[in-house]
Amino acid sequence: MEQLLEILNGINPGIDYETETKLIDGGLLDSFSILSLIPELEDAFDVEITPGEMIPTNFNSADAIWNMINHLQED
Amino acid sequence: MTYNSPLYLFAFFPLVLAAYYISPQRHRSRVLLLASYIFFYSISGKLLIYLLLSTLLIHHTGLWLDHCRSEEKKELAVTQDKKASKAVFAKKRRHILWFGIGFQLGILLLLKYSNFFVSNLNDVMNLFSLKSILPATHFVVPIGISFYTLQAVSYLVDVYYEKIKPDDNLERLALYLAFFPTLMEGPISRYSQVAESLYEGKQIQYKNLTYGLQRILWGLFKKLIIADRLNPLVESIFNTPGNYSGITIIIGAVLYTFQLYADFSGCIDMTIGAGEILGVTIPENFRQPFFAKTASEFWRRWHITLGTWLKDYVFYPISLTKFGKKLGKKSREKFGKHLGQVLSTSLPLFGVWMANGFWHGTGWHYIFFGMYYLAIILFENLTEPAVVTLTNALHINRERIPYRIFQTVKLLIIVFIGELFFAARSLSQGFQMFASIFTGFNWSVLTDGSLLKLGVSIQDFFAVFFGLVTLLIVGVIHERGISIRDRISTWRMPARFGFLYAAIIVVLILGAYGEGYLPVKLIYAGF
Repeated sequence: MEQLLEILNGINPGIDYETETKLIDGGLLDSFSILSLIPELEDAFDVEITPGEMIPTNFNSADAIWNMINHLQED
Repeated sequence: MTYNSPLYLFAFFPLVLAAYYISPQRHRSRVLLLASYIFFYSISGKLLIYLLLSTLLIHHTGLWLDHCRSEEKKELAVTQDKKASKAVFAKKRRHILWFGIGFQLGILLLLKYSNFFVSNLNDVMNLFSLKSILPATHFVVPIGISFYTLQAVSYLVDVYYEKIKPDDNLERLALYLAFFPTLMEGPISRYSQVAESLYEGKQIQYKNLTYGLQRILWGLFKKLIIADRLNPLVESIFNTPGNYSGITIIIGAVLYTFQLYADFSGCIDMTIGAGEILGVTIPENFRQPFFAKTASEFWRRWHITLGTWLKDYVFYPISLTKFGKKLGKKSREKFGKHLGQVLSTSLPLFGVWMANGFWHGTGWHYIFFGMYYLAIILFENLTEPAVVTLTNALHINRERIPYRIFQTVKLLIIVFIGELFFAARSLSQGFQMFASIFTGFNWSVLTDGSLLKLGVSIQDFFAVFFGLVTLLIVGVIHERGISIRDRISTWRMPARFGFLYAAIIVVLILGAYGEGYLPVKLIYAGF
C-alpha cells in the first residue's frame, strides 16, 4: 500500500490519498493522470490492466486501486 | 412523428402511458416494447427489420460470450496448463466479440457510410483519369441507428469484460435497444444504467408524473421558442451562404449554436421527462456547457453520453493496447512528464475525435470538426503549465471574474467557429463562410433591417431573446446545484399551479408552431 501511495503522490501530488474517496467522481484524477498511473502500477505490481478495469469505482480511492491490484494478481 | 409533434404529445405518448398504467406490472415492459416498435415503424417502416436483427444478434453474441467463459472455467478446473488454456479461450472470446461488433458496425457502415466511401473512391479514381468503377448506392437509414448501434456495442464490450452479466431475457435487451423516447436522439445509455428499471414496469407515481411533465414542458420551451424560431434564419444563411458575409455569417454561426443546443438539449429534456414518468433514470446529456472554462470541459458538459462512450470504448482501449502503453512510456521517458503525457494521449485522442466527427455524418466537414477539436484540446493540454506560469507571473487570479469572462469569451469563439463548420453543407462551404467573415465585414447590417429579411421578424427575435435569457438564468441556478423542480414542489398549490399554467401559456404563445410555421425536424435525429 505504501508503494501505491508513493506512486499516486508522484503522479498527482497534493491529495490526501489515504482518506480521499472521490478521486474520479470529484475530478481529482482525470483520464490523463489515470493513463500515467497505469504503466506505473503494471510495472510495480506485475499486473495487466485492461479497458475492462477502467471504471470509476476501481480508481476512486487508494483502497479501491489496491483492491483492484490484489484482484488482478489473484487472476 | 417526433417528440414535439402533436401526434406524439397528445395521442401516442398519453395512450402509451394509459396502456402502461392499466396493465399488470409483469406486462408493462411489453407495452413499452410494443410502443417502441410502433414508434420505430411509424418513422422507418420496414427498416424495423434492421433493429430486430441487431437485437437478436447482440442477444445471441452476449450469451455466446458467457457460454465461452463457462467453458473456460470448466477447462481451468481440470487442465494442468492453465496459462495456455486461458490464452486459447481469451482468443476465442475476442473473436466472438469482434464478430458481434463487426456485424453491428458493418450494418451502420453499409447503410450510413457506404455512399461516402464510394463517392470518395470514385473521386480519387477520376483524379488519376480512371473511370469510376463503383456505383453510388443510397440506402435508406433506419431512425436512431447511430444511437442504438453504440448502445449495442457498449453492451457487448461490457459483457466481454464482465462488467455486466449477459441478459438471457431477450425482451429486456430489446427494450434497452429500442426504448422509444431515446430512439431518435439518445442519450446513449448503458445497459447497467437503464435496462433493469425499464423492464421492471414501475407504478407511475404522482411525483414522477409531475416532475416528468415539467421536464417535457422545459424541453418544449427550448425547442419551440428558441430552436424552431431561429430555424428560418439559420436555414437562409447556411443554404445560400454566398449571399452573406461578415457579421451576418457570425450571427448565423452564433444563432446556429444556440439553435442546436436548444434543439438537442430540449429533445433530451423530453426524453428524460418521459423516462421520469415511467420511473426510469435516463442519464443526463448536458450540464450547462457554455459555462465551461476550456474546450475539454465543454465536451464533458455537451453530449456527455457520447463523450463518455468514446472515452470508455475508444480512448481507453487504444491507450491500453501494448502499442499505446509503450508509446506512453517512451514519450514520458524521452520528453518528460508533461510533454510525454500530451504526446502519448495524442493517438487515442485522434481516435476519439475521428470517431466523433465521423459518427455525426458523412461529410469531410464533420471530420474537420473532429480534427479541429483534437487540435484545440491538444494545444490546451500542451500550454496548460505555461498558462499557469504566465498568469502567476502577471498576478492574475484565475478564479476571479475578469479571467472567467476571458475564458468564456475564448471558449464561445472556439465553439462558434466549430459549429460554423459543423453546420456548413460541405467543408469548402465552411471555409468560404469563414473567410467571408473577414472580407465583407459591415456593422450596418445590424441596423439597416437586413436581419429581418432572413425569415424572422422582430417578434421572433424578442421571443428568442426571452428564451435565451431564461435559459441563462436556469443555467446559473443549476450551476449552483439548486433543483428548480424541488423548489417548485415546496410551494403552495396555488403558486405551483399558477407557475406551471404560466409556463404552459408562455410556450403556447411564444412557441413557433401551427399556421405559418413549417414543422422543424429534430437536428440530431438526422445523425
